[in-house]
Amino acid sequence: MNVSPEHGLPPSGTPRAPQPAEDRAVSGVSAGQKKNTAPAPKDQSPLPVPLRAAERFAVIQNLLVLTGHFVRMQSRFMLVLIGSSWGVICQAVQPLTWRRLVRMEFWRSLRQSTGGGLLSVLVVAVISGLGIVAQAVFWLGFAGMTQMTGSILARVLVREIAPVLVGVILLGRSGMLIVAQLGVLTTAGKLRILSGMGIDPFIALIVPRTVAMTVSGFTLGVIFSVVALGMGYIVCWSQGIVTMPIWSFMFQVAASVSKPDYLGIPLKFLLSGFSVGLSSCLSGMDVTQNDSLSTMIPRGFSRGILSILTINVVIDSLFG
Amino acid sequence: MRRNKKTPALTEDLAVLPLGPVLELSEARPLYIDEGVSPVAYSLTLAAGECALIECHDSQLAQRFTDLCAGMFTLASGSAKCLGLDWQTLDERRTNALRGLMGRVGEEAGWIDFDPMQINILAPSLYHTYTPLDELVDQATTLSEIFGLPGLPIEMPPHMSFLDRRRSEYVRAFMGEPILLLLADPISREPEDLYNAFLGQMTMACDRGCAVVWIASDRSVWKDYAQEDMQFLRLSDGGLNPMRGL
Repeated sequence: MNVSPEHGLPPSGTPRAPQPAEDRAVSGVSAGQKKNTAPAPKDQSPLPVPLRAAERFAVIQNLLVLTGHFVRMQSRFMLVLIGSSWGVICQAVQPLTWRRLVRMEFWRSLRQSTGGGLLSVLVVAVISGLGIVAQAVFWLGFAGMTQMTGSILARVLVREIAPVLVGVILLGRSGMLIVAQLGVLTTAGKLRILSGMGIDPFIALIVPRTVAMTVSGFTLGVIFSVVALGMGYIVCWSQGIVTMPIWSFMFQVAASVSKPDYLGIPLKFLLSGFSVGLSSCLSGMDVTQNDSLSTMIPRGFSRGILSILTINVVIDSLFG
Repeated sequence: MRRNKKTPALTEDLAVLPLGPVLELSEARPLYIDEGVSPVAYSLTLAAGECALIECHDSQLAQRFTDLCAGMFTLASGSAKCLGLDWQTLDERRTNALRGLMGRVGEEAGWIDFDPMQINILAPSLYHTYTPLDELVDQATTLSEIFGLPGLPIEMPPHMSFLDRRRSEYVRAFMGEPILLLLADPISREPEDLYNAFLGQMTMACDRGCAVVWIASDRSVWKDYAQEDMQFLRLSDGGLNPMRGL
């Protein structure tokens, strides 16, 4: 080791810890001796013993277990959502499911989700109309592509933006309420008591709320599209950008909707509502005693957003 | 009072099958130890109109035992039957329909806090029967007045006093003329008017042919009700054991 002449420290400048006698002997410095600069022979560490077959198998098994655990944890909720979707559809088409208590729950949920989300949808639709529609009409006119107005609005606003915005409004306004309500019921053990009275929580709570959110998604989606387009027309008409009557404008938009979109757009509205309703219900019921509102709500929100985006991507890929 | 029209889920069973005892536990041993009830064998048979008075000092055990009677436990061995129908072999729809014929009072009432109390009280009847709503409301109002409420309560459950929630629970339990009452520490001797109203409804239910499982931590509550032909039992971690009268 090189020692700097000024302060006896190694070049790195770090002070050396005092060494025990045996260490000093090994490193060639003994008490009362000058430093020996000759390199000491290295200790030869024993060679690693090759793994036996059983140990190798155990390592591979542990790796597979970890991989499987990770995959299952990540995909569990999605699989539960898919299975429950089928369950809701199967139960919803059976007349016996729609008993009076279930019908009451359905109408109450429908009032809450549609009535509660209506004002938010109207405000967002007006803002979208002012912003997106007016800007699209103005710039398309500027570029001399006025004939493309209808098709661009139908594609961008009605097919892409409306389902996502309506889904987010539904999620924030009604989905989070469902998560909180069902989460509290689950953690308090009240779902078990309902079962004890012969009331199936899936039929009494999940089915009506999911169906109500589905209907609500479609209703609010149609309202959003009409109001946003109407608002955009009013802005453009007031500024003299558009001179055609509103019916011609709406007809132009409707005429530019392609055949697959006549199925795809309503499906997006319906399935956005369905996925928000079901994912919120399941997030509320998929809690443990350690969960509180501060953990349920964010988890429910992120799952809801993911389900909305997934639905939109899947339908886009199916219907072009 | 008109008898409620039941949902069709059970009518075919009740029409075809010879009905056994209202409740029959034959060496019923729950499968899991971690659900609040000891995995020992329980035996109890109750015919229509019979009553079992059970002393138990563990409220959770009492609640779980009523769950066992309602077929909510998977059994490792033995059987649990209601009206001769084995809980283990019934499908979910019939299981729920059979539970709809029971009235329950327990420490955990299970009120849905975001529904008003009248919906909470009527929920089992609305779910399980076709009885017209007006008749259900009349029946619930009559029972509410019997138990000391001014009428059918319409407040949210958290806004009601403990005693009024308890009264509401009795209304829900006695609604629709149940065939089996599962009562886990349902009442104390105070207030006396409520106690007397409760005993009066119990007597009427038994006379109608309703079987009763009444679990209490303090046996003095049975003093004005107990009779020699009733079953006296003690429930503990060791299971159900007979007890000599009061």
